[in-house]
Amino acid sequence: MPGILGIYPFGLGRENWRLARFVYYGLLALQHRGQEIASIITFDKELHNVTKKGFVDEAFDEKTINSIPGFIGVGFVSPTEEQTPIEVSNPLGLILVGDGKPELEEDVRESWRAFAELLAEEIDRTKNALRAALNIIEKVNGGYSFIALTENQELIAGRDVHGVKPLEVGSLGFDLGAVASESSALDVLGMEHIACVKPGEVVKFDPYSIERGRVKGADKVEPKYCSFEYVYLARPDSIINDIPIYKVRESIGVMLAKEHPVKADIVIGIPETAIPFALGYSKSSGIPVSLGFVTTGRKVRTAIKPSIFERLVGVQLKLNPIKCVIDGKDIVLIDDSVVRGTTLRNTVWNLKRKGARRVHVRIGSPSLVSSCPYGIEIPPPDELIARALDEREIAEVIGADTFSFLSIESLCKAIGLPCNRLCLSCWRRRT
Amino acid sequence: MKVMGVGGGAREHALAEAIARSTHSPKIYWVSELRNPGIYRIVKQSGGEYALARTTDAIKVAELAEKWNVDMVVIGPEEPNFHGVPDEVEKRGIPCIGAKRSLSIIEMSKAEMRRLQWRFNIPGKLLFKTYRSYEEAIEDLEKHADTLTWLQNVALKPARQAGGKGVKVVEDLQVYLRSEKKQFKKRHIRWIEQYMKKYGDIEERILIEEKVWGPEYTLQCFVDGRTVVGMPLVQDNKHAYEYDIGPETGGMGSYTGRGYLLPFITKEEYDRSLEIVKAMVDAIQRITGERYHGFIAGQMMLTEIEGPTLIEMYSRLGDPEGVNVMAMLKTDIVDIFEAIIDERLSKIKIEFAEVATVVKAMAPKGYPDFRDLAKNHPVYVDEKAIEKAGCKLYWGSVHLKEDGSMVTGGSRMIEILAFGESPQQASIKIERCLSNRPVRLLDGWELFYRSDIGSEEMIRKRTEIAERVRRLYKYREERGILGKRVDWHPKIGKIDPVKNLLDELKVIRS
Repeated sequence: MPGILGIYPFGLGRENWRLARFVYYGLLALQHRGQEIASIITFDKELHNVTKKGFVDEAFDEKTINSIPGFIGVGFVSPTEEQTPIEVSNPLGLILVGDGKPELEEDVRESWRAFAELLAEEIDRTKNALRAALNIIEKVNGGYSFIALTENQELIAGRDVHGVKPLEVGSLGFDLGAVASESSALDVLGMEHIACVKPGEVVKFDPYSIERGRVKGADKVEPKYCSFEYVYLARPDSIINDIPIYKVRESIGVMLAKEHPVKADIVIGIPETAIPFALGYSKSSGIPVSLGFVTTGRKVRTAIKPSIFERLVGVQLKLNPIKCVIDGKDIVLIDDSVVRGTTLRNTVWNLKRKGARRVHVRIGSPSLVSSCPYGIEIPPPDELIARALDEREIAEVIGADTFSFLSIESLCKAIGLPCNRLCLSCWRRRT
Repeated sequence: MKVMGVGGGAREHALAEAIARSTHSPKIYWVSELRNPGIYRIVKQSGGEYALARTTDAIKVAELAEKWNVDMVVIGPEEPNFHGVPDEVEKRGIPCIGAKRSLSIIEMSKAEMRRLQWRFNIPGKLLFKTYRSYEEAIEDLEKHADTLTWLQNVALKPARQAGGKGVKVVEDLQVYLRSEKKQFKKRHIRWIEQYMKKYGDIEERILIEEKVWGPEYTLQCFVDGRTVVGMPLVQDNKHAYEYDIGPETGGMGSYTGRGYLLPFITKEEYDRSLEIVKAMVDAIQRITGERYHGFIAGQMMLTEIEGPTLIEMYSRLGDPEGVNVMAMLKTDIVDIFEAIIDERLSKIKIEFAEVATVVKAMAPKGYPDFRDLAKNHPVYVDEKAIEKAGCKLYWGSVHLKEDGSMVTGGSRMIEILAFGESPQQASIKIERCLSNRPVRLLDGWELFYRSDIGSEEMIRKRTEIAERVRRLYKYREERGILGKRVDWHPKIGKIDPVKNLLDELKVIRS
């Protein structure tokens, strides 16, 4: 689930741009997709790769940004320290950033390395970067999006034939073209969001053209858009595959209210992802929505922070219930997903301690029971609470009065696509 | 009858083709800088002659017209107009379909065009300012850098028509990227200044206009000095590359709906646009005392602030937009030319086929900003394959050499047109045709074109934007604030930039 971004200048005077700062702000907008690694990659005569640990704004201070030259820019944020931009120098210099996992090796990083090497070899062999990328995508299964920048000033961006991972295209005036994991990164740069790269499609930018191509037959392949993106990963102001995230999340709330109605005084969403769910739930049920928590510190994605300890600290720092809102109330508490249940148990406990009478937990996604085949950092299956326990049991464990997941069918309905056009792997039990 | 044409691009090929369709079976004569293979063939078939010459050399062109003893001359591109070719031709008693030098100022000087529009208070205006030098522009922009004035969001343009080159839009909405964008703005102004020096026929070099957004469309018209007759709307696509990304070009492709309207422009908007063009023709005729005989076009945009808005004017047909309408034209074009000459356009019926069209231009890589790279590549075109695919070929910037071989001229090389029930259908036809690569460069240098022109997605996108803008300008209209702008400067207070401009330019009330 890393965030990737590429920005490319065209026309007379294109070498005059300095894009490091553009990449920096684009990465800030993709920060939620990964907080362990941040990279700014640029080209000016040669490739530069500045990869650092931590949050984007910690990794890159003013001085560092100003010191990075280059008029072509690529950015990367990763949720794991292992996954960094892949550099290839033979037979062709190339730096590649990717989201998801090409099915080449067991390990995600190794898969990307193999992918980058294949791509470099194929470009060298065919002398045609577009053709080369299409050949590779046609051959390599998996769910992935990538951006590669070559020493020949070619920026190549593509998606696997099922389009599992997102990739969106944008532009700025007559000058810049861009691709990014999410449209909100383009918005933040003041760009026009144009369209998604289609499943199995490759877009190639070079100094004198943009070329697009699609793997033969890809238009007849069912897409398998990652449903986790819609529920949880993407920013609510993003539009992915022509579907606005916010609209999906509000619909999820509406679906939840229909599927799992309950009598209560207020609806509260856990910040930030679950807020739109709560608004939808309220709209549909007529139960007023309230602001239940104030967050402290950074927006840490608690489901993907590495250790349990960090997660506990994370959640306590993050979620402080507002006492006067919840005191004496029956509450519908809405969260986006349940991984281990640790954060939820703490939250419910905190709510009760501050005076909540009943806490009915509703989850804006189906039960998370399997790991992601495409590299989303979901803990191993035996750590997933939903795999071990049913809804009634989970309620008992986390101290809630009732507890319900969204059904898979409702999720698809909320996204607005038939279930067979979505990747639902993590919600489905695999043996 | 003998008809002579001037100019060697795809637009002129389409004009030549329309002339060749005439029931008057005219002999066709032509002059251009490169020998356009398509026009050359038409000329030869008609029994006419083809000459190579600088089409901006008014004397030379007029002498050819005289020598060939033609009945009329039709001008394709803008530069011959700017250089007074129509004036010189008419001086010799030969009627010319082309805006005279003084009239063509509405295209040559973007600043004059805008000034004229403001002085006559014609709707669809944009705030503007001109500068003579780099220093002047920078000083003024810096002065307003932190104020709430329209100078924050501007389009920077060369003040003279420069083959569609050099337009940049720079927004300062992202405060955190301001330094990057400001630097770029400065560099671009410097570039415009240098570039404009090359023309040397205009004092104002840099034009700054308020930035607007909305769907663009071109309204091309016939004019005879009394009547302005509108043609079907065409949408041109200026960005060089797919997705509307990349530098500004003369136009990479264009489409029409079935009939006069585009899928996202209403009849009312068409009528208002036509009123604007008519008013501009009246204005330029009043100022110059000349009669406008020829083509005129408004490059329009639907904007929040003004509704139908004039972005630029052409003193000719658009290219590629001219190709669309010439292919759709059912009326005998020679009849139309005669009506223009006699100023009786209002008496004849001009008809266009009720069919959608799409035109896609192909250009060698390097176009538009690095033309040297795009020049002198040997060309191969399988004309039969294109015809078989139900498409039509228009030759553009290609030179047919004496030995029969062809090389690229550096600009848009060919344009492919298809008819269809809808632009989407026509677009698919062209895609199918080009997928077999009937057009190639023999030295392996690559060509590019835009697959997205006329596509379902493009039209959906344009429609969405049009609807958004329409909601906004209609609302302004209802509240009586269409065209109203309010600025604020901490040291000056509230500013009405419209009133200021009108005062400054002393509005002429008709």
